[in-house]
Amino acid sequence: MSVTRLLRRCAAMIFTAVAAAPAHADTDVSPHPPRFELSGFGTLGAVTTDDKDVWFTRYGVNYPGAKDPDFSPDSLAGIQGSLRLTPYNDITLQGLVREDGGASQNPQLTLAFFRQTLAPGLSVRVGRVRVPFFMLSDSLYVNYANPWVRPPVEVYGLNPFNDLDGIDFIYNARVGTFDMEVHPYYGGGRIPFYQGKARLKEALGLNLGLSRGDFSLHLGHGEGTFTLERGDALFAAVSNILLRTGQGRVIADLSGTHGRTSFDSVGVQWDDGSWQLVGEYARRKTNRYAASAHGWYLSLGKRFGAVMPYVVVARQTLDEQFAEAKLPPGRLAALWDLFLVSRNNAQHSLTLGARWELAAYAAIKAEVTQTRPDDDSWGSYAPRVDAQTPIGGRTLNTFSLSLDVSF
Amino acid sequence: MIHMLRICFLAFSLLIAPGVLAQVVIVAGARSPLPELTLDQAEQFYLGRAHTLPDGSVVTLADLPPGSIRDQFYQQLTRKNPSQIRAHWSRMVFTGRALPPQQAESMAQLRQWLASQPNLIGYMPAADADGRVKVLLRLP
Repeated sequence: MSVTRLLRRCAAMIFTAVAAAPAHADTDVSPHPPRFELSGFGTLGAVTTDDKDVWFTRYGVNYPGAKDPDFSPDSLAGIQGSLRLTPYNDITLQGLVREDGGASQNPQLTLAFFRQTLAPGLSVRVGRVRVPFFMLSDSLYVNYANPWVRPPVEVYGLNPFNDLDGIDFIYNARVGTFDMEVHPYYGGGRIPFYQGKARLKEALGLNLGLSRGDFSLHLGHGEGTFTLERGDALFAAVSNILLRTGQGRVIADLSGTHGRTSFDSVGVQWDDGSWQLVGEYARRKTNRYAASAHGWYLSLGKRFGAVMPYVVVARQTLDEQFAEAKLPPGRLAALWDLFLVSRNNAQHSLTLGARWELAAYAAIKAEVTQTRPDDDSWGSYAPRVDAQTPIGGRTLNTFSLSLDVSF
Repeated sequence: MIHMLRICFLAFSLLIAPGVLAQVVIVAGARSPLPELTLDQAEQFYLGRAHTLPDGSVVTLADLPPGSIRDQFYQQLTRKNPSQIRAHWSRMVFTGRALPPQQAESMAQLRQWLASQPNLIGYMPAADADGRVKVLLRLP
């Protein structure tokens, strides 16, 4: 039985047990272990772009839309149950319903781990956790906890991975006047995307967090192997062309099971309760199948009572494409270029937005983002009908509205 | 006239200030073995960054219902306002880093819990800290 199936079965058993004993869960207010806790989060978000020949898309997160405004990039619902077995260990399960990169809306098991406290400040988790490559990766979908409608796609689009099935350790300690969190992890996971499949394997990484008062710093490095097996029509057409032009070896750089990747990130946050500054730089390096790129964002917000207007500037830059081919000028070369351009998300953007604390644990956010994908890129957009629709170099205005809750 | 109004307003503010900012104390049950806490330790617990003492004993947390005492407690201990604290705890809980404090429905329920669980800590206005509880830390 695969790890995924095992985790799914465990989740089903525990959720069934919880559902069968709702009276117990609702009335279990004793702080004594064993104690069960249920919590959840959700977002209802709508996105539209002023140019109606493209969709705003979070590559790896949702599938390009079918309706305008599109509810698929941000809308989701998550529920989490934790069973504290003893004061030293617990089991946590989290289920999430949202559209994934394969256009499926099946519930996903996003957390499923057993945690054991090993020593003061040190705990180990075994099972499924979130991939923590960047500063906000493991809370990517907990939109209530983030100031914006969604974390900037210029950085978070660099990491398509979600689940990490494996083991991690979290160690918290006070070092001088700093609070330190050391977070090593090891594992792998699958990524659903349209007409293909991908896996992250043997991912090993280390995150370091330092915080002091209003300031916190994140440093992260992770690396691993990955597979990316494409099955889309454009890939099939490109493969055919490469074979016919005697460049079949290039196909091994487009799709296969021998990829290596690494992720690095540096992030800072400063929040004194009035002003909020968040910035992050992140880099993805790959040897094939996906482009190497880096991105950054800088966000500044100011609270006025329950309302916080903010401004975000962000940039993603292509460092290196993942394959090269020499095709005769004309239709074949254009198809090859389209294939590469459609896999490049480089762009820059300026976002103006506001967050309104509607009530405790409910926030409304509205954003307008002006984006310019690079000339050789689709950025965070996809053509609605015609794949030949030019996207690179255009200026696109995207409006987002969301309601986030946490309970 | 405006000057006089300002003086009156200042005097009024000073008069009501002690009432608004009652001292809050962190407490355990009267028979709890828990030692006094430092400000740093208490902050680590209520930010979900630690749940054990240096000797390895586990500390579990209780919260009061949402309201001015709770807001004042977190502001004084962690220097975070209510929306910052809610965002912080959402991140801690939904990334699986920490289990949230158990929220008591009332001061009476908190007292009941403190009496029955020696490793539980909570907070209350200093004026409510009677012989049934042991004060572990007085917030400034």
